[in-house]
Amino acid sequence: MAGDDKSMIGRRGALALGGALGGAAGLAALGLPSVADAAGMPAGLVAKAKKEGRLNVIALPPDWANYGAIITAFKKQYGLSVTSANPDGSSAQELQTLRTLRGQSRAPDCVDVGPSFAVEGAKAGLFAPYKVATWNDIPADMKDASGLWVGDYFGVISVAANRSVVKTMPQSWADLKKPEYKGMVSLNGDPMGAAAAFSAVYAASLANGGSLDDIAPGVHYFAELAKLGNFNPAQARPASVIGGQTPITLDWDYLSLSDRKKGRGKAEITVAIPQGGPAYGGYYCQAISAHAPNPSAARLWQEFLYSDQGQIMFLEGYAHPARFNALVAANKIPTALMQELPSPEAYRDIKFASLDQQAKAKTVLADLWPKLVKT
Amino acid sequence: MAGVMEEARGPAPAPRQRAIALWKPVRFGLGGWATIVIAALYFFAPLVITGVFSLWEGRSRYGFAAYRGLLADGEMWSSLLLSFRLSIETIALGLVLLLPAMIFVHLRAPRLRPLFEFISALPFVVPAIALVAGLTALYTGPDWLIGTPNYLVIPYFFLALPYAYRALDVGLSALDLRTLTEAGQSLGASWPQILFRVVLPNLVSAMLGAILLTLAIVMGEFTFANILLFRTFAVYITDVGQSAVTEAAALTLLSFAITWGAMLGVLATGRGRTAQVGGAH
Amino acid sequence: MAAFLLLPTLVLLVQAFSGPHGPTLEWVRTLGSYRYRTAFRNSVLLSAWSAILGLAAGLAIAHAVLRPGAPRGLRTLATSFAAVAANFAGVPLAFAFIATLGTLGLLTTALRSAGIDIYAAGFSLYSVSGLTIVYAYFQVPLMLIVIMPALEGLKREWREAASNLGASSWQYWRHVAFPVLLPSLLAAFVLLFGNAFSAYATPYALTSGNIGLLPIEISNLLSGNVTLAPQVAAALAAGMVAVMAVVLAIYALANRRASRWRG
Repeated sequence: MAGDDKSMIGRRGALALGGALGGAAGLAALGLPSVADAAGMPAGLVAKAKKEGRLNVIALPPDWANYGAIITAFKKQYGLSVTSANPDGSSAQELQTLRTLRGQSRAPDCVDVGPSFAVEGAKAGLFAPYKVATWNDIPADMKDASGLWVGDYFGVISVAANRSVVKTMPQSWADLKKPEYKGMVSLNGDPMGAAAAFSAVYAASLANGGSLDDIAPGVHYFAELAKLGNFNPAQARPASVIGGQTPITLDWDYLSLSDRKKGRGKAEITVAIPQGGPAYGGYYCQAISAHAPNPSAARLWQEFLYSDQGQIMFLEGYAHPARFNALVAANKIPTALMQELPSPEAYRDIKFASLDQQAKAKTVLADLWPKLVKT
Repeated sequence: MAGVMEEARGPAPAPRQRAIALWKPVRFGLGGWATIVIAALYFFAPLVITGVFSLWEGRSRYGFAAYRGLLADGEMWSSLLLSFRLSIETIALGLVLLLPAMIFVHLRAPRLRPLFEFISALPFVVPAIALVAGLTALYTGPDWLIGTPNYLVIPYFFLALPYAYRALDVGLSALDLRTLTEAGQSLGASWPQILFRVVLPNLVSAMLGAILLTLAIVMGEFTFANILLFRTFAVYITDVGQSAVTEAAALTLLSFAITWGAMLGVLATGRGRTAQVGGAH
Repeated sequence: MAAFLLLPTLVLLVQAFSGPHGPTLEWVRTLGSYRYRTAFRNSVLLSAWSAILGLAAGLAIAHAVLRPGAPRGLRTLATSFAAVAANFAGVPLAFAFIATLGTLGLLTTALRSAGIDIYAAGFSLYSVSGLTIVYAYFQVPLMLIVIMPALEGLKREWREAASNLGASSWQYWRHVAFPVLLPSLLAAFVLLFGNAFSAYATPYALTSGNIGLLPIEISNLLSGNVTLAPQVAAALAAGMVAVMAVVLAIYALANRRASRWRG
């Protein structure tokens, strides 16, 4: 977690990162408006939203990418009441709820789903297209061309360890195989059901001779961990990490860092991006329901999320926002915040798998995992 | 069975070599205590561990901070009351629907039993999401029903169905229903009288079992309430479990204690009735 | 009433067998993969074993509780506790057991410092046998509640009569009590089996799906965050219905035999 101001290079090719962040102090900010949304939003959106008076969101845990604080800020700024339902819901459940509650006033206005589900939902006609004011800042491969869904933030796979139980912090994938970590390494779910667990296997593959087209080495890695007795099949949750039952976990960086914050006072948790291979990243997507009970409020919510304020709030939750590179180039990000995040070195070469690559990987994983990983 | 009893009253059979004392019921004794102690150890250990964790305030401090926070949380009480209300409604619905149907089947239509059995086992295998999809497809109704938590009573009835059915079935099978009703009829009683004064008092134990199981199921049910976005107690517990670490453990024990208290209440009111009728024990 | 349950089941069955060009066995064929075969095997074994364990232990405890010399109030205490414990499943139960018997659990480390390493000896909480032990926490209480009325139905007079006729305790149980209880025992087994068969939250929190089980597989495909495959999920669910149907059929057959003595 060096405090150096080196630029954080975006992911493969598509995001060309402009110049260095430069020494923060002393550089004049480029002349971008402080609240970009106010300039570009459709006229009267705020008024219409206020008339609707409420917003329904779903599957937004308060400590996931700082959604709790974001919702509170939104409520305060616009005076709308926000109902946040089913915080622990999965992407599939979000789509399901859109179908189940259609036509009811409790139906969700917006969803935050994984990319394959965003594509699925778009195909099923569940979404309404909308392009936020800051649309152009968002990388092309993180959004749907017609505006049906947009990537909101991304993260990379990290390793978190409870230092009360783990004396030496594992720094690399190879480290995790050491005998001192017996029975300690857990995932936060089934790789076939939980996106972070699936991505952890992908990340392991990248560090062990695999590639985005080949997840098998990742499965072999976990098979070996299981054989060594280091792999703990129990599901890692914040309670079990902080409590020490699953002291080492592989999870999204924003979740690990949020665990660290949660555990302050109870247990010390150290987070690192494991060395040995490029970082593996994943992003989530915003979409507005085609049958939203509060359509203007929904659009206002989107504008808020993609405004400078909203995007930086994501970063405060340790999730890299979609407009990260644009914000960095415009020197909008507070130095103190940059220092809290893991070293930019680790983010230098983030790998995102395409939907096709993921689909192939899922088939291989479904087939290989039960055969190889024996706990 | 009648044959055995009559013979026992007749002349005693030729005495065997060892003395036949009048059979004394087995005292509770060592076997009884051993069973109970082992069971208690197994069942209380996880609760004790959860309790220890719930008192953990970080590093090496222990205290009741988690509990204090929870009891002050208004949302805990509102979700708890909601779940209680739903359980009472589900129990009422269940008993009203199941008892007459099952008594009828036992008495008049034993052929239908296998069908009942199969239906009562279905909730085990149809995944919750499929049931919700089925629910919403079939029931588009007035907003006062569909939009409110009362709607949950319908799926809850079906979730509790296998357990309530089984409890009542075991009880009904243990009765000699035919003889009882025939005796009642030959004594000139009408059907409602037979039902309420002959059959039901003998079913109290089974009914209590069904009530307890339904209560436990509704209090603990999470999936449906979650999918339909209602904030029942179980939904609240899971939410807390995601964010607040020791509060989750404290909440687990609190909910355990509250539900246990409710059960004891149910049993206390039911026990009185059993004593009057003079059950087998 | 039945419509509510039968309709989704029918929809499920239809979905399991229909493809984009009409009826197909494509989804059902996926059930033959190693992953799903293992899930079927694990689910059936786990359910059967935990049902048997629940049956035996529950019966023993119920019998002890109903003995005339039992402490006052024990029965009420036990029944009420059982009702709560029968539903104390899911993450809290899993968490409690991980904290006790997991690789880093309190009991495990205590035993290790006493020189006994249960994990080295082959025990693992994260195996079918480990899961069976955890499942017992809600299986045994369920059995207790369900079998109590049946045990009460064993009239004392029968026991006295049998004893007067010279029957030993063993003979009483074998020739009098057991045949009377058998239908209830079979019914309880079916309930316990179904209860374990459909359990999802507890095994998931314990093993994250590393012990493949049908409800976990279905949930992954239907409400997970990685993949969405409702047809395969429907096929799996249809498979579960089939297993329960077989269990019920065996039960019906056994029940007919068991009730024969009633005449």
